[in-house]
Amino acid sequence: MTISRRDFIKTSGVFAAFAALSACTPQLPTAAKITGHSSGTSSVGTVPLTIANSVTADDPLTVLTLNRISFGPTPEMYARVNQIGLDAFIDEQLDPQSINDDATDQLMTRFPTLTMTPAQRLQLPQFSQPIQELIAATILRQWHSNRQLNEVMVDFWSNHFNIYIGKTLCRVLKTDDDLKVIRPNAFAKFGDILNASAHSPAMLIFLDNAESQKSAPNENYGRELMELHTISVNGGYTQKDVTEVARAFTGWTIYGPKSIFGEFGTYQFAERIHDTGEKHILDLDIPAGGREDDGVKVLDMLAHHPMAAQFISTKLARRFVSDNPDPALVSALANVFTQSDGDTRAVLKAIFQSDQFKNSAGQKFKRPLEFLASTLRLTGATLAGQSQQLVNHVKLLGQIPFDWQFPNGFPDTAGFWATTSGLLERWNFGNLLTSNKINGVRVDVKSLTADAQSAQDVVDVLSQRFLGSKFPDDARSILLDFASSGDLGSKLASIAGLILGSPHFQVR
Amino acid sequence: MDTKFSRRDFMKVAATSMGGWAVSSALPSWMPRMAFAPDGVEPPGDLLVVIFQRGGMDGLNAVIPHGDADYYHLRTSLAIAEPSAGSDKTGIDLDGFFGLHPSLQPLKDLWDEKALAIVHAAGSPDPTHSHFDAMDYMERGTPGEKTIETGWIGRHLQSAPWQNTSPFRAIGMGGIMQASLRGPIPVTTLQSIADFHLQGDTSQLAEIRKRLESLYSLGGSLDADAKDTFDAVDLLSKIDISHYTPTGNAQYPQTEYGMALKQIAQISKADIGLEVACVDIGGWDTHNAEGATDGDMPKLLNELGSGLAALYTDMGGLARKMTIVTMSEFGRRAQENGSGGTDHGHGNCMFIVGGGVNGGKVYTQWPGLAPNQLYGPGDLNVTTDYRDVLAEIVQKRVKNPNLTQVFPDYTEAKTLGIVQG
Repeated sequence: MTISRRDFIKTSGVFAAFAALSACTPQLPTAAKITGHSSGTSSVGTVPLTIANSVTADDPLTVLTLNRISFGPTPEMYARVNQIGLDAFIDEQLDPQSINDDATDQLMTRFPTLTMTPAQRLQLPQFSQPIQELIAATILRQWHSNRQLNEVMVDFWSNHFNIYIGKTLCRVLKTDDDLKVIRPNAFAKFGDILNASAHSPAMLIFLDNAESQKSAPNENYGRELMELHTISVNGGYTQKDVTEVARAFTGWTIYGPKSIFGEFGTYQFAERIHDTGEKHILDLDIPAGGREDDGVKVLDMLAHHPMAAQFISTKLARRFVSDNPDPALVSALANVFTQSDGDTRAVLKAIFQSDQFKNSAGQKFKRPLEFLASTLRLTGATLAGQSQQLVNHVKLLGQIPFDWQFPNGFPDTAGFWATTSGLLERWNFGNLLTSNKINGVRVDVKSLTADAQSAQDVVDVLSQRFLGSKFPDDARSILLDFASSGDLGSKLASIAGLILGSPHFQVR
Repeated sequence: MDTKFSRRDFMKVAATSMGGWAVSSALPSWMPRMAFAPDGVEPPGDLLVVIFQRGGMDGLNAVIPHGDADYYHLRTSLAIAEPSAGSDKTGIDLDGFFGLHPSLQPLKDLWDEKALAIVHAAGSPDPTHSHFDAMDYMERGTPGEKTIETGWIGRHLQSAPWQNTSPFRAIGMGGIMQASLRGPIPVTTLQSIADFHLQGDTSQLAEIRKRLESLYSLGGSLDADAKDTFDAVDLLSKIDISHYTPTGNAQYPQTEYGMALKQIAQISKADIGLEVACVDIGGWDTHNAEGATDGDMPKLLNELGSGLAALYTDMGGLARKMTIVTMSEFGRRAQENGSGGTDHGHGNCMFIVGGGVNGGKVYTQWPGLAPNQLYGPGDLNVTTDYRDVLAEIVQKRVKNPNLTQVFPDYTEAKTLGIVQG
């Protein structure tokens, strides 16, 4: 049985992703060592592990906020909040360039395909290398970057403008989309990231616009541009509008692998296949004779459409506040969106200042990648070699970056992820990780609990570290009962695993 | 932790009445025998396997209307040639008008055995061309209507007049539960039987398990899911998974879809209460380079067909009590586009496989492919509501008569005679 290339990533491709990752990273820094904010020098892998257990963060709003704006709040993040205050910390995270992230950048140098051109990636003897490296780089950044809110927003836009990396040339083009479209625009005005995405070679391939021409427009991009990228399925457009948008974008394509006129994998407007007739889309009339500006007009109209303000605000509120955000909050955010010309930072600030946000503790279930990254960050896990088993667990947890075939991105509501197999895999991953049974990944629970003198100390220190606070009494007594019987030293890993498997750790 | 996360938002509804049926098949000794229902009230009907082809299958190229000249006018590069003896690149004739795509060769034996029926020009009456709305409507079983939160299978399980407390009564293969399964009856999602057990420090696993159960008994919103998970783990632990050999040398495709089907056969044969299984197969959104007899779509068709054939073969005599039905959110535009592909369309075909199928027949009121016969932007019209197909299977094969609950507000159901009973 030959496997469809659309299924490629689900089978062989991603299995090797962490082989690339681990082979390239002899010793990663622990989360505890990437402090970054004040240090200008990185000390990857050379400084012994020390954990700042003394840092506590019982302030519920701090715990909530850091959980929502990161892939897991480390002691260093709490320390930084103690130092400069929560509001200043948020501002700092909203300005990622102000945060030193040399150590993470250094890790990225281990992935050669990140700096290759599409043509170079195409010539690699190992077909899946660009896929493997981008997936590994993404997980590593979520795990290690100091610019955590930036990574959260990159994840948000990567899903909003989802591109399935296993589709044909997306294999060698998605890396450019990640580095040149999504990452530089993580906090951009919406119109800017929309415009960048519309020109993205990977998107032009993924939604087939690269093939669309006046004689036979391909309406895949036109439809999803309205339904998923801007005004939503409730945006009031018709099939006719879809066809007209498709006509407006005819000619937006890329230079192909054999082109002699331009560099493979870069955007081009091919005038000869552009439909120059007049177009009517919603309330927009485009006169005949237009060129590339036809598409630009459509993008501009959609980016500033009230339904886009509504849709993007809903999705951001769903990401940061709750699965079913309060319509009043969405409406307020949509106003901010419109008044700020779609400024992502302004909308995020409005979210963090809202009562709905402040009262939303416990309302977001971690998606698998958030669970994965938070366990790795908070346990101070290190990669020490080949880790086929870690790859298998990422797959079993059920969320491999860029491995979502549909253009709508991974679901962002708990109903999709709170399943039997999902829960079981989380319990198993926590237990296996803390007991060092995942080859190539090391966790030192003993050093995390170095200050602990008793079973009670161990439970409290670990819950403080993993949850940002002590357990509620009922859960705490269950763990104390377990920790108090028998030899404490032999139970450290299981106690840590239980906390990672607890219902309390499944929310962010 | 007061937010409701899961299907448990729905009130549990107890079964109201019971039917009688006793199973007495000769099962291998490695299979445990378990009773989840009170004596004599085991599920009376078939195992139902529902396959969703995500992305919108091009039904016009899966089951080709080679007797319709317009097909060849519309599909200038993608058309499958009329059946021709001795060629493996032409259609496989079924009834002089329709033919199977050559990559669906694995289905030909089922057709000849009359274990395969096809419904063509089937689909949802809702006009949406959005994948997500179309899937949503189809899986809810309520086209055009989003106020009912449950899925059609969830409502079937809820309204069935028998009891079955097995955690494997309904399973969703893959990490994410299919929306059709939403409802008050617990569903187990499963990727791999082999991994479906608690892992960790083996000397402490029993203690860890005990504490996990306690932590998930504190009134949180995940408690019910955790309990289902432990129940499922316990049950599956009694099956010897390493000694499974498919019956009749059935050859499953080596893909997630193929492995999912194989595990359904395993679980079904283990007699642990399986009634419904959902499986997804993705990759059907063929806007570009679809391929006529070679390429993405032919490969997918072969995967689809060989999986169906393998499951039917593997079930052996038990296939008499199994019905498989396929569906996809919509078909594709009748005329191919300029990219060697097809855009989102409307009508499609469905495959029904099983021992109780009135097979060897294409059930259709063919709407035609002439310009004035096409739907909307140029799609195959829908002349059979997909709910007619499902309702007949639910009623006659699965033996749940409560169709008004499975498909609320759908009163125009036609009986097609696709299945026996």
